[in-house]
Amino acid sequence: MPEPLVARSALRAHVAPVVTASVEPGVTLRERSGLTLATVSALGGRDAELADAVRSAFGLELPTTPKRVAAGEAAFVWAGPGKWLATSTGAADFASLPAGVSDQSDGRTVLSVSGPLARETLATLIAVDLHPRAFAAGDVALTHAASIAVHLWRVDDEAAFELAVFRSYAATLWRWLVHAGAARNIDARLDG
Amino acid sequence: MSKPHRLPAGGLVDRGASLAFSFDGKRYAGHPGDTLASALLANGVKLVGRSFKYHRPRGVLTAGFEEPNALVELRSGARREPNTKATVAELFDGLEARSQNRWPSLAFDLLAVNQLASPAFVAGFYYKTFMWPASFWEKLYEPMIRRAAGLGRAAEAADPDSYEKTTAHCDLLVIGGGAGGLAAALAAGRAGARVIIADEDFVLGGRLNAERRSVGDVASADWAAQAAAELASLPEVTVLTRTTVTSVHDGGVYGALERVSDHLAQPLSHQPRQRFWRIVAKRSVLASGALERPIPFGNNDRPGVMLAGAVRTYINRFGVAPGKRAVVYANNDDAAATVADLVAAGCEVAAVVDARGDASALQATAKAAGALLVFGRTVARAYGGRVVEGCEIADARGDTFNVPCDLIAVSGGWSPAIQLTNHLNGRPAWDDRRAAFLPGVTPPGMTVVGSANGDFGLAETFATGARAGAEAAAAEGFSGAGFELPSVEPEAGETYGDGPWRPTIKRGKAFVDFQNDVTVSDVELSAREGFRSVEHLKRYTTLGMATDQGKTSNVVGLALMAEITGKSIPDTGVTMNRPPYTPVAIGALAGAHRHKEFRPTRLPPSHFWAEEQGAVFTETGQWMRAAYFPRRGEADWFETMVREVETVRTKVGVYDASTLGKIDIHGPDAATLLDKVYVNAFASLAVGKARYGLMLREDGVAMDDGTTTRLGDQHFYMTTTTANAGAVMRHLEFAKQWLWPELDVHFASVTDQWAQYAIAGPRSRDVVAALVDPGFDVSNEALPYMGATELTVCGGVKARLFRLSFSGELAYELAVPARYGDAMIRAIVKAGEPFGICPYGAEALAVMRIEKGHAAGPELNGNTTGADLGMGRMMSKKKDFIGRTLAGREGLADPSRPALVGFRPVDRTARLRSGAHFVARGAEPTAANDEGYMTSTAYSPSNGHWIGLGFLARGASRMGEIVRAYDPVRDGDVEVEVVSPVFVDPEGARLRA
Repeated sequence: MPEPLVARSALRAHVAPVVTASVEPGVTLRERSGLTLATVSALGGRDAELADAVRSAFGLELPTTPKRVAAGEAAFVWAGPGKWLATSTGAADFASLPAGVSDQSDGRTVLSVSGPLARETLATLIAVDLHPRAFAAGDVALTHAASIAVHLWRVDDEAAFELAVFRSYAATLWRWLVHAGAARNIDARLDG
Repeated sequence: MSKPHRLPAGGLVDRGASLAFSFDGKRYAGHPGDTLASALLANGVKLVGRSFKYHRPRGVLTAGFEEPNALVELRSGARREPNTKATVAELFDGLEARSQNRWPSLAFDLLAVNQLASPAFVAGFYYKTFMWPASFWEKLYEPMIRRAAGLGRAAEAADPDSYEKTTAHCDLLVIGGGAGGLAAALAAGRAGARVIIADEDFVLGGRLNAERRSVGDVASADWAAQAAAELASLPEVTVLTRTTVTSVHDGGVYGALERVSDHLAQPLSHQPRQRFWRIVAKRSVLASGALERPIPFGNNDRPGVMLAGAVRTYINRFGVAPGKRAVVYANNDDAAATVADLVAAGCEVAAVVDARGDASALQATAKAAGALLVFGRTVARAYGGRVVEGCEIADARGDTFNVPCDLIAVSGGWSPAIQLTNHLNGRPAWDDRRAAFLPGVTPPGMTVVGSANGDFGLAETFATGARAGAEAAAAEGFSGAGFELPSVEPEAGETYGDGPWRPTIKRGKAFVDFQNDVTVSDVELSAREGFRSVEHLKRYTTLGMATDQGKTSNVVGLALMAEITGKSIPDTGVTMNRPPYTPVAIGALAGAHRHKEFRPTRLPPSHFWAEEQGAVFTETGQWMRAAYFPRRGEADWFETMVREVETVRTKVGVYDASTLGKIDIHGPDAATLLDKVYVNAFASLAVGKARYGLMLREDGVAMDDGTTTRLGDQHFYMTTTTANAGAVMRHLEFAKQWLWPELDVHFASVTDQWAQYAIAGPRSRDVVAALVDPGFDVSNEALPYMGATELTVCGGVKARLFRLSFSGELAYELAVPARYGDAMIRAIVKAGEPFGICPYGAEALAVMRIEKGHAAGPELNGNTTGADLGMGRMMSKKKDFIGRTLAGREGLADPSRPALVGFRPVDRTARLRSGAHFVARGAEPTAANDEGYMTSTAYSPSNGHWIGLGFLARGASRMGEIVRAYDPVRDGDVEVEVVSPVFVDPEGARLRA
C-alpha cells in the first residue's frame, strides 16, 4: 500500500517568511489555510430554492450585490450574477446545495492582509478604492492585483482584507505583496 | 569654508547643520533646505554647465522645474543621472554633481569653438548639410554630431533602485501647494472631504516661501508652514511633497511622480527610489502657479542672468544673494519687489531698466534703492566672459551705455502653468491684457485657480483656491469649517508684461530656448524660410523640444514669430502641451514588476518536486513546465528526451498535465451547449466516458481542442490546451451569456483545483493499480480507453481517473486535489519504480505527439480549418455549431487547400525543419509553386529518423509522393515522402491495450 498523501499549501516551499517590522507591523500577511471552498452557480429558475437551502443550512441570506455574508464557520461571497464563492473554516457540505457546485478548496488560495498599512500596501497592486467610505466591511470586488485576477473582500471595519486567488498564482501574489509591504513593516509568514 | 553669497540670516535653510557636497570634484558645503543650485550660488559658483549646441557657459536661470540651463549629472556609477535640474535637486550630505557637455573642463571647453563656427549650427543646418551622400549619415555625420551636441551621459550599469506604482482615490486632488492650493486643500479638508495635495517642491508654500510678504499677521512662509502642518493633521488629507502631477487622463485619472528617495544618497532599505501614482479624483484644483519669462537680449544666457522671481527665491527662501551688484530688467511692476528684496539682502542695485515707456510705478523704489531708473530702453546685451560683468543698455536709436554688474534680474512677465489643462486637448486662450495663455476648455472636474488662471494677485489666489476647494467638498456632500480668507497687502502695480520679444539692436546671441540653444536669429531665419506656423517653427528650430518642454521659451518664441510676421499671437498658433509635465523615468512607469516579475509565474503542483529532480524548466505562457529531467551522464536535452520517449514507449513515464485548462460545466443544458461549441456531438456521450472535441471560432477556423468527460448527467469536465485555457473560458461565457442566454449551463474554472498526472506506457496500468484504493477496478474491461471514473487513491484521497492518451501508449490521467499534487507525484514515482518509471517533460511529450500526428499549437495556428487538420468527417452535419456556416465558405471548403499529412526524409539521415515550404519535385522554388509548409518536426526515437507534420495541398491524396521541403533561410532543401501523420501504432492498438 502506498503511504498516505500529505497535503501541501501552494505557498509551502515557495515563500520564505519575511518580517521587516521592528515593532508593530504595518501590514500582516497570512494564508487562510484549511478552508473549504466551492463555487456555487444558481441554476435557471431555482434561485429561490438555492436561497432557501443556504438559509436553512447556514443561516445566511445569499447576497445579490457585491457583498459577503458570514455566520459561524461559513460565508458566501458574491462572485457575479447568480454566482458565489462559498467558504467555510471547517468541513462544509456545499456540494449538496441545489446549484452547480464545483469544489475549489484546492483551486483557490486565500490570503489575509491586515494592519494599519494594509490598504496602502494593496493600493500598489489593486486599483479599487478600499477606503472604508467606498469599501466597507462585507464589500466584495472581483478585480486584479497587478496582472493577477483576485476576488477581494473586506472582513471587518478594521483594515482586514482577504483575497482569493487561483492557486497557481498564489506564490507570485505573495511575493508581490511582500515586496510592496517590505517598506511598510510587513510581517509575512505561513502558519505552522 | 567661506560661502561668500550666503546672507547672515533668513530663509528656510537649517543653518545649524552643514551638508558636504562636491561639484566637478571640488568640495563645498550647504545646509538642509538647500537645492544644489542654491548651495552652489551660496558658494559663489555661477558657472554650472555648458550649453547643448554651442557649449556656451551657463548658470542658474530659475529656481524650479522649468530650469533650462543648470543641468548636471548627479551621483555616480549605476546611479549616475544626467540632465538633472540643479534648481530642484535637494542637497544631501555626500551629493556628487558634475557639469555636463564640456571637455576637458567646465571653465575651458574645447568644443566652445562651436560658437565661432556657429553659422554652421543655426536652425535647419543639419537638414541642409548632412544630406549627401546618404551612406555618410550613419558612419560619419551622426557620430560626429552626437559627440559635439548633447548633454549628460546615462549610467551604463543597470539601475540598482526599485520603483513602485500605486493608486489613490480622492474627492479632490489639489495640484500645487502654493497659496491657492493650500486654500483649496484646507477648505475641502476641513470639511471632511478626502483630499490629496501634491507639490513638486519638498516644502509646501510655493511662492509664499519665495516672497517677503505677510499673510494675516505672520510672514507668508510661516503661514504656509502652519497650513502644511494643519493639512498633515487632517486624517483624510494626504500631503504629497516632492510629487509632480505629470498627466491628466480620461475619467478623472491623474498621473503623478513622487520622488521618494531622490533627496537621499540612496533609498532607505526597502524604499523605492520613485513612486508613480495613479490618482483617481472626483474633482481637481489646478493651482500650479505661473512661470516667469525671460526677455531676449544679447548674451542673455550668461551665468549671472537670472529670472527676477528666482532672484527673490534665492534671497528669501535660501538666504543667498545671487549677486552683489544687480541690474533689474523688467517689463512690469514686479520689479519693485525685486529691487526691494535685493536691497534688503544688502545688494547694490545699479540700475532698473523698464522696457515700458512709463515706469512711474518704479520711481519711488528705484530712488530708495539709489538705483538708476531707465525706462523705454532695453538691455542690448550682457558682457563678460564666463559670467556677467555688466550690461549694455540701448535706446530706440541704438545709443548705448554700459552698467557694470554681476547679476541681471530679468522679468518678462508670467506665463500661467496651464500645461495640464491641455492634456485632454483643451486649447488655451490668449489674453492680450495679461500677455499670457489662459486655460481654455479644462479637463472635466478641473478648476484652475490663482496665477495658473491668470489671477496673479495673492488675495485673488486665496479666494479662488478656497472657493474651488469648498465647492469640490460640497459636491461630495461635505461642508463645514471652511477657509476664512486671510488679509494680505495688495501687490504694487501690475505683474504682467508684454515684450519686447527681441532686442532693439543685435549684440551677440539672444536666446529664446536656452536648453536647445535656439536664438532670436533662428526664429527670424525660420520665418524667412517660410516655417512660420508655430508647429513648423518648433520642428525647424527645435524650439521647445528639449526636456524642459519650452516652459520658459514657448511663449517668447511664439510672440517673436507673431511680431516678425505681423500677425497676432492667436493667429500664429497655440502651443499645446502633452504629458508628461516634467520628465518621468521609464523605471517609474514600469514600477515594481520587472524582469522575472514582469508577469506572474504559475507553478504546477509538481514544481517543487521537479526542482528537486533537477528538471530543466520552460515557460509556457505564465506556466513553468518541466522541459526534461536530465540524468547524470546525459550530454544534452536531446539525449534526455530520447531516453524519456523510449521509457514511455517501452515501460512507463509520468508527466504533469496540470497546466491544461480544466472547466467544470454544470446544468441541465450543459450537453446542449457542448454540442454548440464543439464540431462533434457530445449530447450522446455516456456518463463515465471522455471524448476528444474540436472547437472552431465564429469564422470557421480551428480554435482549440481537448477532451471532455461526462461525470454526471448534468456535469461535464472539459480540458483545453494550456495556452488557450483563458480564451476557451471566454468563448464559453460568450456563447452562454450572449448567444444562448436561455441555456441553463454554468462554468467554473477548476484548472487549479486538480493536480493531473499523465501516467503513460505499457506498464501504466500496473502503476495505477498500485495507487488506487482496494475495491476499485482499473482493468481494461472496467475502465476501457476513453473511460473515466471517480475513485480514491492512497488511502482515501478522492481522485478522478481518465483513460486518455496523448502519447499513443496505454495511458491514464490521474487527478487529485491540488494540495496532494506534490505527494501524489512522489507516490506515483515510488509506485512506478518496480516498472522502470521515469518522469518526462514537455520535450518528450512534444516528440510523442508528433509521432502520433496530434495537432498542437503549430497546427492550430489560426489559419487552419477542421478539414485542414484531417477532422473534416468529425464535423457533424446533423447539428449546428459555432463556426459551421463560415467553415463552409468557398475558400475554406476548397478541397485543394493544404491538409495535414506526415513527412519523412527520403534520405533517412536528413534533418527536417519547421517552416520549410513544399514544392513539387523539379519545380522552381518560387512563391507561385508553393504547396504548403512544415509545421512541426522532431527526431523520432521510435522511428530512428526525423519526422514532420505539415500542410500540403491535397495532401491526403498524395501519400507516397516525394516533394521538396525547401528552407532557403537555413539552407535546407530536403526531399521528403508524404506519409500518414501517425508514425507510431497507426491502428491505435497500444492505447486500447
